[in-house]
Amino acid sequence: MSSEVYGLFFVGLLTAMVGIYILLGYRNLIRIMLGVEVISKGITMILLGAGLYQGRPDFIQALIITFIIVETIMAAVMLGIVIISHKIHVTLDIRRQSKLKG
Amino acid sequence: MATIWLLVLTFLLILAVGFAKDLLKAAVALAAASVFLSLVLFYHGAWVAGVFELSVCAGLITVLFVSTVSLTKDSDQNEESKISRFLLPAFLLFFIGIDIFAMKWIEGHLLKATNAPIAASDVTKGFSEVFWGARTTDVLGQAALILAGVFAILALFKRTAAKPHAAEGGKHE
Repeated sequence: MSSEVYGLFFVGLLTAMVGIYILLGYRNLIRIMLGVEVISKGITMILLGAGLYQGRPDFIQALIITFIIVETIMAAVMLGIVIISHKIHVTLDIRRQSKLKG
Repeated sequence: MATIWLLVLTFLLILAVGFAKDLLKAAVALAAASVFLSLVLFYHGAWVAGVFELSVCAGLITVLFVSTVSLTKDSDQNEESKISRFLLPAFLLFFIGIDIFAMKWIEGHLLKATNAPIAASDVTKGFSEVFWGARTTDVLGQAALILAGVFAILALFKRTAAKPHAAEGGKHE
């Protein structure tokens, strides 16, 4: 494995772990969304590393584009939910989102 | 070597997302991280993915984040517990340890297992051939997902016009 592919896998995994930390450690809804985006950056790096390792950059490019579109739609819908939730609760603290309880 | 430096810069900006107290600064740091990631993609010949990363992730998503931050400005958005921010460096060391073990496992087991030979036709296919030919289902899925996203946003921000009329009717009665 070349140093570039190793670097992509290493930094990608580390980025995903930092994203999971942001997701679990913070309680602001917007920051949680930023955590999800950070995880997706890590996944993009891992995908690119996998493509370079297999020697199929065009194939992995198609997958990265699909992933970016999924990420964007998810971000748009979730930020919409954040705005609606803020209108109802006037807070972004996830612990005070009591009306979300099933 | 350029890839390694770009990745280090990307990771430092990702850490800034975790450390930044202001949400606006965190969103801008994420956008800057996307710019460096798109440079990595350009460097490795993934031009189209690089353009998508630069325009959509560094552009559109940042606009969405900044809009959400400004629309929710009257809330307690910057009141975060300091513990999470202070614990991040300690957890980072822990994550690096896990990452080193994970990389050893990936090198030793996973990559050896997936070392199957690739068909020469797969390697020589160009991007447009792969995207529009081999991954047609993905394109259809993307179109369906975009439609689902549009309908979800419409449903979320739908103005209920019936409610004020109902209230007026109640008053007259």
